Amino acid sequence: MRSHSPCITGIGSVSPFGIVTGPIPARQMEPRAISAWPTAGLRRAYLVNPFRPADVIPGLKARRLDRLSVWSLVAAYLAVEDAGLDLDQIIRSHAAVVFATGLGCLELTEAHFRSASDNGWSGVDPILFPETIGNAPASHVARCLDLRGPNITASCKGLGGECALLQAASLVRNGQADFAVVMAGETLTRSAYEWYEASGALSPACFDAEPREHRTGLVPSEGVVALVMESADLCGSRGARVYAAAHSGHFAARANIGGVIRKVLAGAPPSGVALVVSATAGGVDLPDAVREFFGDRTAFAEPSPVASGMGDTGGLLRLVLTLNGAPRGALAVLASAAPRGACAALLLESP
Amino acid sequence: MSEDRRTIVVTAIGVVSPYGVGFRLMSKALLAGRCCLGPLQGFSTGFDATVGEIGCLTPIEDLHEFRPSRTDQLAIRAARDAAAISGLEDRAFREAAVVMATTVSGLTEIDPALVLDPLAWYRAGGLARAQSYPCSHVADAVGEYLDARGPRFAVNVACASGAIAIALGANLLLDDAVPMALVGGSDALCPFTLSGFHALQALDAAPCRPFDQNRGGLNLGEGAAVLALETLATARKRSAPILAVLRGWAMTNDAFHLTAPHEQGRGLAECMLLAMERADVAPDDVGYVNAHGTGTLLNDAAETRAYERAFGQRARPVPVSSTKSYFGHCLGAAGAIEAAVTISGIRAGVLYPTLRLSEPIETPAVEWLTGQPRRQQLPLAMTVSAGFGGSNAALVFGAYSE
Repeated sequence: MRSHSPCITGIGSVSPFGIVTGPIPARQMEPRAISAWPTAGLRRAYLVNPFRPADVIPGLKARRLDRLSVWSLVAAYLAVEDAGLDLDQIIRSHAAVVFATGLGCLELTEAHFRSASDNGWSGVDPILFPETIGNAPASHVARCLDLRGPNITASCKGLGGECALLQAASLVRNGQADFAVVMAGETLTRSAYEWYEASGALSPACFDAEPREHRTGLVPSEGVVALVMESADLCGSRGARVYAAAHSGHFAARANIGGVIRKVLAGAPPSGVALVVSATAGGVDLPDAVREFFGDRTAFAEPSPVASGMGDTGGLLRLVLTLNGAPRGALAVLASAAPRGACAALLLESP
Repeated sequence: MSEDRRTIVVTAIGVVSPYGVGFRLMSKALLAGRCCLGPLQGFSTGFDATVGEIGCLTPIEDLHEFRPSRTDQLAIRAARDAAAISGLEDRAFREAAVVMATTVSGLTEIDPALVLDPLAWYRAGGLARAQSYPCSHVADAVGEYLDARGPRFAVNVACASGAIAIALGANLLLDDAVPMALVGGSDALCPFTLSGFHALQALDAAPCRPFDQNRGGLNLGEGAAVLALETLATARKRSAPILAVLRGWAMTNDAFHLTAPHEQGRGLAECMLLAMERADVAPDDVGYVNAHGTGTLLNDAAETRAYERAFGQRARPVPVSSTKSYFGHCLGAAGAIEAAVTISGIRAGVLYPTLRLSEPIETPAVEWLTGQPRRQQLPLAMTVSAGFGGSNAALVFGAYSE
């Protein structure tokens, strides 16, 4: 393993797979019927089961927060716990939070609009506005865990999770952070779900509980995944367990995925890559040329419908779903394709 | 890596502000001490608000199925302005990253009727309008309209977003991920944010008075700024004009409260000290600080404490002003516009004063700039930003000399 590469040492998640510490065991998942808002007939999605945050993180006060903030807090706590990090031993101004979301705190944004509809713009509820800001989840994580380094919330079409990972790795590599909590996620609300419906993007599986062999379209999903990424020095000095080292990565808005993968491999032979994890967004598949480039000896982990349903931020969930089964000591590529030619690749190594 | 490949320079700046389109236009207006704050005219909110509003905007045409929001349109104009200055037509530009800050993004296109019956609202024409809602749309707008094909993302870190976008763009260059980064911020005025700040009683109904003991709150503004960042090596290779050097940058978080800054300015002070350390300069070397200076009671008090912590050991007080007193608080665009103001000061050798500052907060650490613009050589200056969520950013810019 390249000794300078940032390492992933902790994982926590709140997703349709449940509230999980560490990698998520991959399993089949069926969408569930939506009951949180009125629907014209059956509507289904991959949903997070409601839970009391204090049951998971004792003492966690999350009243009045958007669900995205609540899930971010829970996932971040679990990831730090999983990493076995003693936060008292770190330099607080070198502890970063990097969060990716496409739609942000939608639940309370809708509530703010509803308040304006009821009372006029001059009479909106003052409690709501601060919790609608996009960086509220990352800020709550910083506040609750006392992480005083860079605090970034990013939005990247189709590649939010990958973007967050790369920004965190950059902070660590450039000495601007010793460790980062990297998160990505979305919540489903009525306005988001019905946007998919109005745009004709929903899979028939959203309207019909009958199992189908060939599903097309999107089944919307929600949740937050958090990773702990550390510098190799910090990781080595405390003897941390490492899920994967992030050697290199790149993304581009309009590029050939093959070219991006070549850039990330930096001359290393594709035959040395044991696994390609396909993380696609918006129904875009990896082109066949990618399979041909890697050859027969490389295994391909197909896209997860639950991760793909998470819009711009499913990349981290896809990665976490794969870390359990990744061969030890092997190189893996997380290859992501998104609409309009956007793509990303990350070269990871399991120790 | 050679020093030229680790030195980040600014090779173009585009600005859209209430003064109009153009970096020079803005600089000229600031030098003339022109305040463009006035009553809100663009839409109705049911309460009085003083804002920095951009008047008539010629609409930008749709591109394929891409429908730009007002925030997108400001960003595209600023980026085109930057491109026009620098002649950014070569390969470096095609492969450029786009890192754009925004907090409002397509909220300008949404109205409260959406939440009453979303499906009906979308089917009545809202579907296309809502496409610009994600913050990433602003970065995509700049990339699509200027055909920049590198990594694109938006930064949404409240009022520190613009400065953080610049810092992250610089990081991409340090990583050798791209040959150029178009970085900046854009935010338009909209009822959602105005109503939010009004509900928090953070708005001053009159033109704001940052750092004044009798300050009454902030005025929101709108605008956009886009800077082209390159390494010195790339800029020299393509003989690009070099407007300034980004000497250092830092980002921190107060980890204190969602809306209130740390009373002692702990996070902001640490951020300024880190930026100076990374720029390899001492507090005495900084000739001017373009402040966050919103005009709210809490921000300006905490920011003053931060200057005392970061610059208290100087031989002389540090000169500070808030140019939000000219055009208001442009939220996600603020850090980028104020970076442009800071570079304008460096290039013109001018320290812009705070307008309407008659009874400044008393502190021995700061020389509050008031009255007329001060003409003096300015080899090194800093701009700072802070925002809801406790995020802080500091950028240190220096003059470029061969």
